[in-house]
Amino acid sequence: MKFSTKTISALILSSFLVLVGCSQEPKEGAKMTRAVADWTGGMVTGEVAEQILEQELGYTVDSVVFPSGTGLWEAIADGSDIQVGFESWPSYAEADDVMINMPLKYDGKVVKEYSGDGSIEAYTNGIIGSSDYFVPKYFVDANPDFKDWRDLNKYKDQFATPETGSKGRLIGCAVAGWNCHDQKRLDLLGIDFEAVELGTEVAALAEAQAAYARKEPFLLYFWTPHWFQGAYEMVGVKLPANVDCPSYTEANNWKDCGTDAWPATGWAKDYTMNYMNPDFFAKPEMAKAKGFFQKMKLSNDDQAAMINEIDKNGRDIVAVVQEWKDNNKDKWSKWLP
Amino acid sequence: MAFLNSTINKLSESSYYRFLLPLLILSAFALSIYLSIQSEEKSVFPELATDAFTFTAWINAGEDYLKDHYKWITRLIASFVKLGYYGFEDFLLDSSWLFIAALMIIPAFMVGGLKLALLFTFGIYFWGAVDMWDPAMESVALMGLSVLLSVIVGVFFGVICSQSDRFESFLKPFLDTMQVMPAFVYLIPAMFFFGIGAAPAILATMIYSMPPIIRLTNLGIRQVPKETIETATSFGSSKTQTLFKIQIPLALPSIMMGVNQTIMMALALIVLATFIGAQGLGAEIWIAIRKLDVGYAMEGGLCVLFMAIMFDRFGKALSAEEKTLPSESQKFYLLPQDWEIYPLAKIIEKPLGIVHSIITIIFKIVIGIFSYLSFQIVSLIKVDYGESIQRFLNNHFYFFSGILILCLISIYDFVGPGIGQFPESWTISIREPIESGVRWLTVNPTFIAFTKGLRYYVTIYLMRPLDTYLTFMPWWYVMSAFVIISWVSVGVRFAAVTALLLLFIAACNIWTQAMITLSSVMIAVFFCFIIGVPIGILASYSKRFQNVNEVILDAMQTLPYFCYLIPVLMFFGGGVVSALIATIIYSIPPIIRLTVLGLSQVSVTYSEVSKSFGGTTLQTLSKIKFPLAVPSLVMGFNQTVMMAFAMQIVTPLIGGKGLGKEVFAGLARSDTGRALAAGIGICLLAIIIDRISLAYTKKQRDALGL
Repeated sequence: MKFSTKTISALILSSFLVLVGCSQEPKEGAKMTRAVADWTGGMVTGEVAEQILEQELGYTVDSVVFPSGTGLWEAIADGSDIQVGFESWPSYAEADDVMINMPLKYDGKVVKEYSGDGSIEAYTNGIIGSSDYFVPKYFVDANPDFKDWRDLNKYKDQFATPETGSKGRLIGCAVAGWNCHDQKRLDLLGIDFEAVELGTEVAALAEAQAAYARKEPFLLYFWTPHWFQGAYEMVGVKLPANVDCPSYTEANNWKDCGTDAWPATGWAKDYTMNYMNPDFFAKPEMAKAKGFFQKMKLSNDDQAAMINEIDKNGRDIVAVVQEWKDNNKDKWSKWLP
Repeated sequence: MAFLNSTINKLSESSYYRFLLPLLILSAFALSIYLSIQSEEKSVFPELATDAFTFTAWINAGEDYLKDHYKWITRLIASFVKLGYYGFEDFLLDSSWLFIAALMIIPAFMVGGLKLALLFTFGIYFWGAVDMWDPAMESVALMGLSVLLSVIVGVFFGVICSQSDRFESFLKPFLDTMQVMPAFVYLIPAMFFFGIGAAPAILATMIYSMPPIIRLTNLGIRQVPKETIETATSFGSSKTQTLFKIQIPLALPSIMMGVNQTIMMALALIVLATFIGAQGLGAEIWIAIRKLDVGYAMEGGLCVLFMAIMFDRFGKALSAEEKTLPSESQKFYLLPQDWEIYPLAKIIEKPLGIVHSIITIIFKIVIGIFSYLSFQIVSLIKVDYGESIQRFLNNHFYFFSGILILCLISIYDFVGPGIGQFPESWTISIREPIESGVRWLTVNPTFIAFTKGLRYYVTIYLMRPLDTYLTFMPWWYVMSAFVIISWVSVGVRFAAVTALLLLFIAACNIWTQAMITLSSVMIAVFFCFIIGVPIGILASYSKRFQNVNEVILDAMQTLPYFCYLIPVLMFFGGGVVSALIATIIYSIPPIIRLTVLGLSQVSVTYSEVSKSFGGTTLQTLSKIKFPLAVPSLVMGFNQTVMMAFAMQIVTPLIGGKGLGKEVFAGLARSDTGRALAAGIGICLLAIIIDRISLAYTKKQRDALGL
């Protein structure tokens, strides 16, 4: 036998690891588990809510890092492990139509109607997102003729890549599920560009960052507020203002309304929302938390300032949010139920 | 069919065979190009069939049914797994870092001596030094538990397999599928059944990492010589006794190899586990990637890499034979033993040897005193017990001195001033240099001109033509080509299976995507081949080059691919070319490894004979060594193909196309059926090509009489 007693004792010693376990002490107060978003803006919104829930309303909030997407929506609808998520963008949420069954309100006005199965309820959180196509500022500086999207065709050679041939390239919506319909928009507006789908937001941003570093022109589908905006100077191409096209749905075989309405226009404003498990927040001990979620209204400027502190100055998110909370009592005290 | 077989046989015997076969292949190829050019649009399967075959809907309905009726069982299992995980994790996180470090380094020292202990010390230091101690502990808990459960369950199944041929052949397709099926596909459904966090992550990791241990346990037990078993039986052992006393102990080296591979595969899932809420290094890496923080992601990746190497070397040391050295030679503690010929190495090793013996003596004395005291105490009750305890303690002085050290650390931590956090002054940061290196390359004009040129040529002259060729070729032509190849290389039955599997892909309405995947894999494998084989040849001639090569290959296989996806994309631009490069990085190691293995296995006699007949090195290589190494090469080719297929599920993250993208599209819409169909598509293509190339290897081996 080649297993000497020495190795066996080593094995026993390592299994010591497994045998000794300590149990965690239960924490005080009603408890909920929230998802930590995987982008800075969402993290800030979540952290602001967590600090108010914990410090002002006496809840215990556990957090789990969870990449956003349909998986998270399903997990929250299930509710047993995780009950609330922060800052979902209606344009990019893939599951909102299926799972929410209530009007989404901002300032008392209904901004979007939903008729899903009601397994998720959602309230706006104050952050308003907007999307457009962007070019880097150095491109506009070098080509003062360039005014808006109508001029794109003139410069399409500068935007071409081996993959797109003679056409220009748009680094489009990264994920098909986001329903941007980039190619359709380009075709309707007569922009001779090809929309390239890179699969993930990260990939699109990495591509843009590399091109920016090399000072190459590029056209990027993009949205604000986002940390990228703080780090790089980008200029919007000012797509036509959003007009809804009711016939443009999958059920209707994507019957478009021509050049007058979506998708030949820019995006609607994104009233971002915090979304939660309805049964969990119907419990009496959660009433205060629910009341808070109904009133929370963080402004874009406040969030952008915090994002800047975290991503540009490399500070810790908890400290940055705490500092904001200490200095802005007048703002958040209005959100308390 | 018999007719065709006999015709093939006759043909192969006849002298026409030589000319006829290439001619046949050539004309088939010409016809395929003609057909491909002729067709106006991409080949589609008849709508009649795709509409009737609603596989995705069936899967989704089945999933809903299971969710409604059997969720409580899976949740129960999950709660047990969770309990184990949190106990383990809390222990790791609550203990002081010094205690955990000692707990890992001491066993490493016992098993692998000074060399392994130093490796462990460095790895553990690195976790703390880059400020990732807590995530690293979470990952250790996650991986430790996954591997432990995989080994327990895997050995159990492996033993059953070895006892029943029928069970083995029943399990085989499942094992194939478990390994090739992209983990993304079952990650999200796993969440419905097992909740989020550690439990589904551990179970998903088990699915992925169990096949090697089942296979190698089965193989090890089956390889025990018949004579040995017969001897045991003739001495009156029952079947169970033979199994547990003879077969399993003899199969241990093979089982240990399975454990090693299981560890490697489990670590590969560390980042993916984040997608269902598992915490640890994977989450750190993912968040860093979301911010395009290449340096931070790389630090996380290196933590994973060191963890993998530590586990791997520990397993290897555990299963390695203890070599007995000739009495006059000096034992080396740090450097490889075959460096004994260098005098300098001897000088370096001298003090280490002395230190080693001093430590041993100190341990012996301490335990001697301790055992003497225990002897005195226990002797008060009964002298016999006292003596046996003293003997036991003295024999296991390493083990007990280890426990002693751990106790001392705990006492110091609880009673003394406490140990606290990993000392901040010890931290290092390599993220800055990595970051600036990547930034420098991104804007370096020469490098970018090179990457752009490469991107241009590969896209225009390689990827686009092949994509067009395969997608425009009529589906029935591709299908019959595959069927004929399977018939000739494997047999009639497999040809029928191939036809069925390809019909499934076509009926799921994913034919075009499948062809794109096939084309990406073909191009990636082509590049792996032309890059990997020369490197392999070089390495087989130069030992020094091979040593460096080994380390790089290890790193390429265990570094989470998420870490290099972003730099690759920054250099080569988002899209299919980056996807291709990432696939090559991931899947090239096997072909290099097996080229080296194949060439160095050719017995020295052959090359000596060739040399004595006046053959040059080049002649020996091309005429003697290479032909003999073909089976190994094909094996490497086969593994590279498998890995390239596995990578197809990851490349859509940076712009890859084909079935992988279909999987993501399905997952994004919460459409498990669609994702699963595409995932199965990848598996089926991989399985068909795997079987064909394995059959080819077997024929080559038989022909060479190996």
